[in-house]
Amino acid sequence: MNEVSSIREKFSVEFVKEELLRTAYGNGDTFLARLDPRALIYWYLFFGIAPWFIHNKMILSGLLVFMVVTTVMARTSPLIIIILCTGLLGEIAFLFFISLFFGGGFESVLPMFWLTVKLAVISLASITVFSSMDPERFGDALLSMGLPSQVSFSIAFGYRTLPTLMEEFHQIFLSYRLRGKAPDSHGFLYWRSIVYFMKILVVSFYPLLLNGAKRSRTTVEALETKGFSYAATDSKVKKMKISYMSFKWSDYGFLTASFLYVVVVFWLGSVVQI
Amino acid sequence: MTKKKPYELTQSQKMMVFVLSMSLYGLSNMFTELLPSVKLGFLELSVEYFAFIPLTLCILFHPLYAAIGASLGEIIFGELMLGQFGGIGEVEKFITFSLGMYIAGILVRNPLNRMQVSVAVMSGLLVHHLLALMVDIGKVWVGVEELEAVPGLAESIVLIEGVAFLNDLLFSGILFALLPTLYLVPRLYGKIEPLLGMKPRNNKVQYSLGEIVTPKLVIVGVILAAIAVVAEFMSEADMNIAEWEFDFLGMFGDSFIWVVIGAAAFIASLTIWIMRRKAKDQKQIWGVHHEE
Repeated sequence: MNEVSSIREKFSVEFVKEELLRTAYGNGDTFLARLDPRALIYWYLFFGIAPWFIHNKMILSGLLVFMVVTTVMARTSPLIIIILCTGLLGEIAFLFFISLFFGGGFESVLPMFWLTVKLAVISLASITVFSSMDPERFGDALLSMGLPSQVSFSIAFGYRTLPTLMEEFHQIFLSYRLRGKAPDSHGFLYWRSIVYFMKILVVSFYPLLLNGAKRSRTTVEALETKGFSYAATDSKVKKMKISYMSFKWSDYGFLTASFLYVVVVFWLGSVVQI
Repeated sequence: MTKKKPYELTQSQKMMVFVLSMSLYGLSNMFTELLPSVKLGFLELSVEYFAFIPLTLCILFHPLYAAIGASLGEIIFGELMLGQFGGIGEVEKFITFSLGMYIAGILVRNPLNRMQVSVAVMSGLLVHHLLALMVDIGKVWVGVEELEAVPGLAESIVLIEGVAFLNDLLFSGILFALLPTLYLVPRLYGKIEPLLGMKPRNNKVQYSLGEIVTPKLVIVGVILAAIAVVAEFMSEADMNIAEWEFDFLGMFGDSFIWVVIGAAAFIASLTIWIMRRKAKDQKQIWGVHHEE
């Protein structure tokens, strides 16, 4: 009984909210978080793209091990890992089921399994990088790589505004629940409750859209007071904004170590065959 | 519209629409990433996305900024914040989703006309999902090398994607895009615009369907469809090249992978270099412009 309630507690709305915020705001004290954001982006450009073109199983396994290590280093939230795992496993199970239907049998699972490994490497790389990067630093890194400043602003703004938005949405949602009448019975397979909650979820966006409109107007007005659209296109402002970023020894060390590991894995891949 | 003034927004109004669309669709995306899906055999009943938010905003405001804002919001809230950023795949999603929403937005002339809104919503979704379907199938083709060798795999992937497509369009599409949009648009019309300090889109004149489907729209639609088809064929050709290269792989051994990796790295660094250079050029142009 106790366990059941503790599990329920773990998956309450508050828990999910907290986990999301924790993921979004990252843990600033990990080794990866202290690296230069550009170093992490360059790192990700390799590990997020290269696995697509690698079909050697040994190399893929080696990369997967490396990604698991970096994910642990980034101290990612367990909720995110659970979502990732259920997504990957669900996909492979579903594909297997369907290909059985077409008379494929077990041998069709194997290539799908390696595709899943591939996807896992890519997803873990992105989890590592994006959960340990401070959003503002990430935005500035994108700015220094030449993306429009609206994008980097949006990222920083998104992270800042998330708690407010969530709080507001939650309150509207609760007020609809307070005023409305929940269905008396759950119905077959809870369908009544599901329909009820879905309806509230959609209807809640009506006040939220209006409030959001007001807020976005205030935001833009505040931005323009500080000369946002002028600064957005001015090279001097941009230079000032990104001047604090610099590559340190730890950045070079991290990139070199990753490179050496990849070299070793590729060598292993050419020697050992799975 | 009596040809008085075309519907135009100032720079900061565009930014407002952009910010609004981004934050709200982003928020909803966070929920949809977490909501569980119900599987009924082959039919997966999941809330794919709350497309009604960008659709409503595209219909009420400037479609381009609302569409781009929504796509960016999805990437930031639904992917980056949850650490699920998918790399290249996101670019494709960004384009197809923005395109679908934009088309839905420009199809509507009178937001109070339910028929028009319904047609626009469904065609926007159709464009988005059809393009996504092509890309999804292509992705598996690239990722799995022995696809042809395994019986049933190719068909099953096509079937899964097809079912997902129908599910997205008919189930999620109607329940979570069409109905909420029909509920929200008339309610918000005339109410939300003053909050952003702008006038509602003019709806005084009733348009017949013939007037909506202007030659310009048809031409643009045909061109975009052609681009999509060409892109699809190109990606298919790419795939064939990739498969052909695997024979190469057999000839030259595993070291061939280095060529591929090297090419990938080269292209990546070239892209970064071009981007930075372009940014610098822009900076100079803008800098001069401002000093004037």
